[in-house]
This record gives sequence, structure tokens and C-alpha cells, in this order.
Amino acid sequence: MLLDVNLPDGDGFSLFGELREGRDVPVLFLSARDEDADRLQGLGLGADDYITKPFLPQELLLRLNAVLRRVYREEAQAARLRDVEMDWGKSAVRRNGAETALTAKEFTLLKKLWDARGNIVTIDALCAALWDGPLVGYENTLMVHIRRLREKIEADPSHPKYLLTVRGLGYRLNREGAK
Amino acid sequence: MSLRSIFKGALLVTASAALIAVITIVGILAFVFYHSNGGRSWDAPVSRISSALTWDGTDYDFSGDELLENDRWAVLISEDGRVVWSLRKPADVPEQYTLTDVASFTRWYLNDYPVQCRIRDDGLLVVGSPKGSVWKHGISTPAQLLHAAPLWCGIIFLLALGCVLLLPYFAVRRWSQQAQRVRDAARSDWINGVSHDIRTPLSMVMGYAAQMEEAEDLLPERRKQAGIIRSQSQEIRNLVNDLNLTMRLDCAMQALRKEPIQVEVFLRQTVADFLNGGMGEGFDFEMDLPAEPLPPIEADPFLLRRAVNNLLTNCVRHNAPGGSIRLGARAEGKSVVLFVEGGAAAAPVEAAPARHLETDGAAAHGTGLKLVRQIAEAHGGKAAFNGGPPFRCELWMPVKPR
Repeated sequence: MLLDVNLPDGDGFSLFGELREGRDVPVLFLSARDEDADRLQGLGLGADDYITKPFLPQELLLRLNAVLRRVYREEAQAARLRDVEMDWGKSAVRRNGAETALTAKEFTLLKKLWDARGNIVTIDALCAALWDGPLVGYENTLMVHIRRLREKIEADPSHPKYLLTVRGLGYRLNREGAK
Repeated sequence: MSLRSIFKGALLVTASAALIAVITIVGILAFVFYHSNGGRSWDAPVSRISSALTWDGTDYDFSGDELLENDRWAVLISEDGRVVWSLRKPADVPEQYTLTDVASFTRWYLNDYPVQCRIRDDGLLVVGSPKGSVWKHGISTPAQLLHAAPLWCGIIFLLALGCVLLLPYFAVRRWSQQAQRVRDAARSDWINGVSHDIRTPLSMVMGYAAQMEEAEDLLPERRKQAGIIRSQSQEIRNLVNDLNLTMRLDCAMQALRKEPIQVEVFLRQTVADFLNGGMGEGFDFEMDLPAEPLPPIEADPFLLRRAVNNLLTNCVRHNAPGGSIRLGARAEGKSVVLFVEGGAAAAPVEAAPARHLETDGAAAHGTGLKLVRQIAEAHGGKAAFNGGPPFRCELWMPVKPR
């Protein structure tokens, strides 16, 4: 549900309270006000996101998708990079018909990157996912895990197509496979 | 109206008020003094009354009836305290006096009659007035105090002068603070209103332009134009946002929600979000962070992100694609210095010496960069700019106190 905060006959915040009674629909607020207080009030009420006008249609779509993904978590059992199949249920990857099992850490890493596919995930966020906190000093261990993961999904781990390094920042899972 | 002229006006008002008070007080004192001892109706005639009373060898002869009004009376008391002569003496005035009686009435009242006395060779002449017609009050002042009179007169004068100067000062200050608050509120209302009213139509412009940019049935030329409309509208949006925040920081209306921030993590996330948002495509981003972890700073993450984003946007906008943008941080004393480098500033600084950083100069023009400085200053830090090329900005953020 998309709700504007400024309505001709009331405000979106109170309408939101009525609509949420007994229902669990994801709600996004649209508003031309960008004060922190409004933003916090909206999110504090339990809205799933708050978009400030003006916005691009793509922005709205991205946010909607993110909310939908979060709320109705698609429990897809499998996903696919161009020539790599990932089986979340079995925690394994298949490439050229050969199946390789993933360790728990590799699974978490790959899932995190897949959920943000196409976008950069910082090393801090990856460390937080693996070790419950942005731990300084784990970067090298992270690199080891990344290398192992590459060995399982990449044809040539030294020249990765899918799991790309973004120097100084983090990693990005390229769905289509870079040249 | 300038503050100076307001102050002058207030000073004039207070000074006039003080002058009126002084004139009133002096007038009252003069009036009271004129009708007191020395006043025409009371004191002066006593000596004449006395000279009008003469002893002719056998009896007293009084020739000054016109000097003594009908309701006044007089007695002459001899050395042994007996009344030897009297004129219209009331019945309740005794015939005989002791030493203590005399001591009392010469200073105060005789049986409640206000009296004046005159010492003569043959005794004491007492002239009485009706009861309740005159107040007598004795004033005595320590001599020491009178010697120091110039000093305390000076002190009292200075105190009074201080009041005359300070009163209008505080009044004007209070007034101007109130006026400032009202002005700030009006300004923020206005900008909030305008930015609110701009946002809604702008979302239409941006929405339709973005759709036209994607439309298959339009000529490539038209789609490119739609793209320009879209990107320029985004510029306007950023400008409105910056303007809004800059005004709020100016009026100290933006509450800082500070939390501890690990700068390395913050910078990586901000740049990642910047890139994920499709900005900075085709640019080479270089991170320059020390091997040792930096001390955490305390800042409002939303504002700090806004500052770094503005710097990145500035670098991208004034940089040829393929150019490089460097970001980093270092610890320096009680600050962590964040820096962003690349491209040129919005308003290039003429002949700025390389590496020379200005904290307040032409390099920091434009709402976006002004906002960067405001954000740094709101956190108790500072921002230094160099117009370059390459453009460079350093943000000095205070380390979180332990």
C-alpha cells in the first residue's frame, strides 16, 4: 500500500493507524516533507519505507521490490547465475553438472551477495553477516572465504566473472557474468 | 532599523526616565525643605517675637501681636523653670518645668504642641503652634560619612549610570533575540512551504520524463531530451533538499542525532551506496584508509552521509568520465580527517596554490559545498576546501570523547 502523508481530508499517519488494524499489509509512505521528524514518525509507526517526493519511477520500483522481498520472503530453493545453479535448500552449487557443497560461511556469503545482486556489498556488511558485527581484522579471513567461494562458482577463479572485487569497498555479484 | 539605532533609542528613553525621576525627587525635596526650618511661616519670626518682648523693670511688654497668629501662643520660662510671662497659653501647658521637660520639648513637642525656642538673657522663650500642625524630625548624620561624601556620591552616580546603560542593553538584546527567533521561524516556514510545494510538481516532471526516456516509440533525440529533463529535475531536487537543510542548520533547527561512527565502515558504505545508486559510473574510486583502525567519531550519520554525498556529487559533476576520485581518512590529534579529492570545484578558485586549503573561501561556494561546511561546523568540526584542480575537501570531525 502506498500512502501519501498529506491527504486532502486528514493525514496519512492516522489513516495508516486505521488501515493497519488487524491487517498486515506492507505500507510505504510518500511525502513531500523531508524533515527527520516526519520520516521517523512514519517509520516509527511501523511503515516499511518512507519515500520523499520527488522520486524517479525506478526508485519507487526498487523500494517496492525491496519491501516485497523483505515482507514476502521468497523462499526460492534455487537461483541461477548464467551457468551456475545455486541450490539453497541443499546448500550447494552446480556448475557444468558437477555439484559442490558449500560450507556454512560460504553459504551465508553467497546468499548475502545474491540478495543484493548487482550491487556492491561492503566488506563490513559481509563481515557483519558472517561474524555478527563489523569486526576489524577479519578482512583477511573474509578474503580466504571469498577465494574458496570463487573456486566453487567461477570457471577461472583468478579472473572472476561473477564474484567481482570492488577495490577498497567490497564485492559485487554480477548475475550475467562479466567479460 | 539597525541594532545600534535601536540601542540609541532605548538609551534615550531610559535616560529621559532617569531625568524625570531626578527632577521629581529634587522637586519634592526642595518643596519639603522650603517649608521646613527656615521656611517663612515657622522659624524666622521667633527671633523677632523675642525682640518684641521687653522687660521695662516691673513687667513684660509685648509689642509683636502682628507677628503671632491667633492660634499660636508663647511663654517665657525663667532660669528656675517657672513661667514668668505668657500669651494665649493653653490650659494644658504647665506653669512649672523641670530640666528633663525642657530637654524634651526643645527637641520635640511640649504636650504634643510643636514648639520653637529662643534663649534669652532672662530665660527661654517658647513659641507654640496648634497640635498636629507641624512635624518635627531630627536628622543626624555621622561626620565620617559626610567626609566620605564625594566617594559614595561617585559610587551612587556610577551605579545609576550603569543602570541607565545596562537596562536598554538588556531590553534591546532580549527584543532582538525574540525578533531573530520570529524571523528564523518565518524563514523556515517559508522555505519548508516552498520546498513542499516544489516537490509535488517536480515528482510529476521527473516521473514522466523518466518514462519518456524509456519510451520505445520516441525518437532517440527526444528520449535524450527527456533524459536531460529528468537529470536536471534531479538537480533541482538536490538543490531543494540542500537548501532546506542548510536553512535548518542556519537556524539551529536541525537536531543532531549523534552516534558513534567508525569512519572506515561509514566511508565504504557511503561510496558503495553512491555507486549502487548509479552515480559515479565510469569513475575510478580509490580508497585511502590507514592500516590501523581509526578512533570512532560521534556524528549524525544522516548528515555526515549527506556531506560526503555532496562532495562525491561535486567531484563527479566536475570530472571527466574515467577520472579518479580519491576518498580517505586519517587520524590527526583529536580529529579524524575525512577527505575527498577529484575533479574541480563548482566555482574554480583562481590561482589557489596547490595543497592550500581554505576554510572559508571561494572554493566553498554553491549550496552543496556550503552545506558540507555547515554540517562539519554543526558537529564542532570544520571543513577545508581547495578549488584545485584537483578539487579537495577535508572534513575535520572531532573524535568521540572517551
